[in-house]
Amino acid sequence: MAGDKKLKVSKTKMFLRIIFKSLKVRRNRVFITFFSIMIGAAIITALSSVYFDISTKMSRELRAYGANFFIGPSSSSGSKAIDLPVIEDAIKMVPPGKLIGASPYIYGVVRLDLGNAVMAGVDFAGLRRLSPYWQVEGKWIVVDFDDDSCMIGKTLAKNMELKVGDSVNVVRTETGFQKTLQIKGIAETGQAEDEQIFVNLTLAGKILGLEGKANHAMLSIVSEGMDIDGLASQIQSKFQGIDAKPIRKVSYSEGRILEKIKGMMALVALIILTVTTLCVMTTLIAVVSERTREIGLMKAIGADNKSIVMQFLSETLMIGLAGVAAGLIAGFILAQVLGQAVFGSSISFRIIVLPLTLIPSIAASLLAAAIPVRMAVNVVPAQVLKEE
Amino acid sequence: MFFRMLRQSFVRGRRRKALATITIVLAASLITALMNISIDVGDKMSKELKSYGANINAVPKSEAVPLEIGGVDYNPMKDKVFINESDLPKIKEIFWHNNIVGLAPFLKTTVEIAGKEKKQVSLMGTDFDKQIPVAGDDEFRIGVKTVFPYWQVTGEWLDDNDASSILAGAGIAREMNLKTGDAVKIKISGETQKEKVFTIKGILSTGGKEESAFIASLLAVQKLAGLEGKIQSVSVSALTVPEDKLSRRARHSSESLSSLEYDRWYCTAYVSSISHQIEEALPNVTARPVWQVAAGEGAVVNKIQLLMIVVTIAAFIASGLGISSLMVTTIMERSREIGLMKALGAANREVYLLFLSESAIVGVAGGLLGCLAGAGLSQVIGLSVFGSFVSFSPIVIPVNIVISVLIALAGSLMPSRLITKLYPAEVLHGRR
Repeated sequence: MAGDKKLKVSKTKMFLRIIFKSLKVRRNRVFITFFSIMIGAAIITALSSVYFDISTKMSRELRAYGANFFIGPSSSSGSKAIDLPVIEDAIKMVPPGKLIGASPYIYGVVRLDLGNAVMAGVDFAGLRRLSPYWQVEGKWIVVDFDDDSCMIGKTLAKNMELKVGDSVNVVRTETGFQKTLQIKGIAETGQAEDEQIFVNLTLAGKILGLEGKANHAMLSIVSEGMDIDGLASQIQSKFQGIDAKPIRKVSYSEGRILEKIKGMMALVALIILTVTTLCVMTTLIAVVSERTREIGLMKAIGADNKSIVMQFLSETLMIGLAGVAAGLIAGFILAQVLGQAVFGSSISFRIIVLPLTLIPSIAASLLAAAIPVRMAVNVVPAQVLKEE
Repeated sequence: MFFRMLRQSFVRGRRRKALATITIVLAASLITALMNISIDVGDKMSKELKSYGANINAVPKSEAVPLEIGGVDYNPMKDKVFINESDLPKIKEIFWHNNIVGLAPFLKTTVEIAGKEKKQVSLMGTDFDKQIPVAGDDEFRIGVKTVFPYWQVTGEWLDDNDASSILAGAGIAREMNLKTGDAVKIKISGETQKEKVFTIKGILSTGGKEESAFIASLLAVQKLAGLEGKIQSVSVSALTVPEDKLSRRARHSSESLSSLEYDRWYCTAYVSSISHQIEEALPNVTARPVWQVAAGEGAVVNKIQLLMIVVTIAAFIASGLGISSLMVTTIMERSREIGLMKALGAANREVYLLFLSESAIVGVAGGLLGCLAGAGLSQVIGLSVFGSFVSFSPIVIPVNIVISVLIALAGSLMPSRLITKLYPAEVLHGRR
């Protein structure tokens, strides 16, 4: 029994010795194996990280299309305006971090120097985030309490012969309010805004005689990973007489586009994953099949097939684990580079990436080592040693 | 002698060469597929983004500014200027006619509903899915179904020749308690004799201002308003490329462009140049880009293109490194052969030549096969994601082959140098 144990110990010792010797002596090849596994693992890590983040990232990018959520008075209430605090409270119900921008709107007809026009009162800071697509000549109004400036739609500006920097008289016949405003910027959207004049909400309230009121509000919400219809019904049930709904034009398209992008990324990632794994395999096969002579020698001095296969697999496993570890780090760095280059923000690390990288990489390397070794162990040692 | 050695090396080391070729095929197919996709992804995504609706709006060069709040225009109908319906096909005959995917004409009037208190509603006439004769395209269909794919009708869509049915916007239907099948009597505001009874065939939800309007076929509205053959605006859906510096300058003042720049701007499918061409085709019309759609599309397409390019570069570098490491192995494996060649009196130059030509052959073969496989791969992606073929850019083939050969050469150069530096005796003895 004792002898058996001793034999076993020395066998294990021998086994480890062979592996370490082999790793040490064949440093060049070990490095190549390690290197190719690392590259493979890195690219898999990077791409799967990007893939899992793509919806969140693209969902934000798609906010370039502007408002996707509407809050207004419900048609049953009959009124055309709601109180501003109610709208502000409703906006606050959107989880912070999901809200890109929001602005209440109030409308009314005013007289300018050369004719009538629709005036819109807005929250400029919110509007700018809400509608990044506005083409503005001149400047945006940046401060909320700027009561002396306005922005004006392009068509209106053309018809009223107004330019950036000009002054315009605004008269509201019903209230008799009159004020001279300076045009800060001319906006072009190709839609109704082109024919409107924009001032901040409080000023519009004063001019139109509708202080503390708003007709409706537009919101831009990141819809990925949240129930936007649920939010709508939540707002509706909390506030009486309010109609809250996603804007179909935008939200419908957004879902479709995200699906497409996700599908494309998934396929691209899958193809890259398969191809890199195969690439790693061919390299490993080349490295291992080079050692046919060594296998012949081992057999000639009495090693059995099983222990030879075991030895090669453990060797590969050790290199593979080291390679995957290095690859995970390199891949995560690569993902950050990709994220910064494309989206200007970092890619978050997800635990699912670990098995996704580890399993194919290790499985591929073991398979790649096993195939040539299996072929080599079945040859007659003398033949191999003679280099046939 | 050289060719015999080359041939022998391929015959004897069949497995080794096959392995190297397979790796290069894999890497090359990957690069081909990704390059193809990233070249075409802009067009493909831009088509997908057409679901956001029209990106150009054409209206008459009218002097009157509409006073529109909540979809109802408070200006009287009289002083309106119109576009002739017969001019519509001209939009499809501009320089970029292939990029015009859809158009929808609109005629809008303000109406009152009989039996309800004096409330003004807007009635829009449009085509839903109508074929119009266009030079060079017999199948071209216009209408809101292609331009606004997000419009949704509960009930039935209208027929373009149906002059007695109507769609009610979801908002107005709720407000006035209207259902499919109801009859409504509609009259043009201020003109008592122009009235007609319509049957509601469906409820339209769009999430936009159309929800608070009635929609009928263009024909019906033209008849009702006595404006046969007239339309008020055209929504155009066009495939465009994202805006850049040139187009922004052109928009600001087209005079500031040199004639060469002007030609380049005119011959690029910017939203601004397509608008300009529509204005040229229809002289009394202003075509304005709908920036919500045009600028949003630009931003998104740019992002996706950038993403694909960056991913392609990453995959490219990775497969390059993969190929090099394989080449290093296949050459190191043959160190004894190199030693023998040198012992028999071969010059380093000759050793290089042999190994590099071997790599070049493997590179060319792998690159070619890879192009084929990659072309197939990109079609798989195109078909399963976008449901259409990815156009194959011929530029990919030479680029790919050159790249494969260069990588294979680079990968073999380093180890050959290492080995040729050694003394033959050492190598033959098996020290390396």
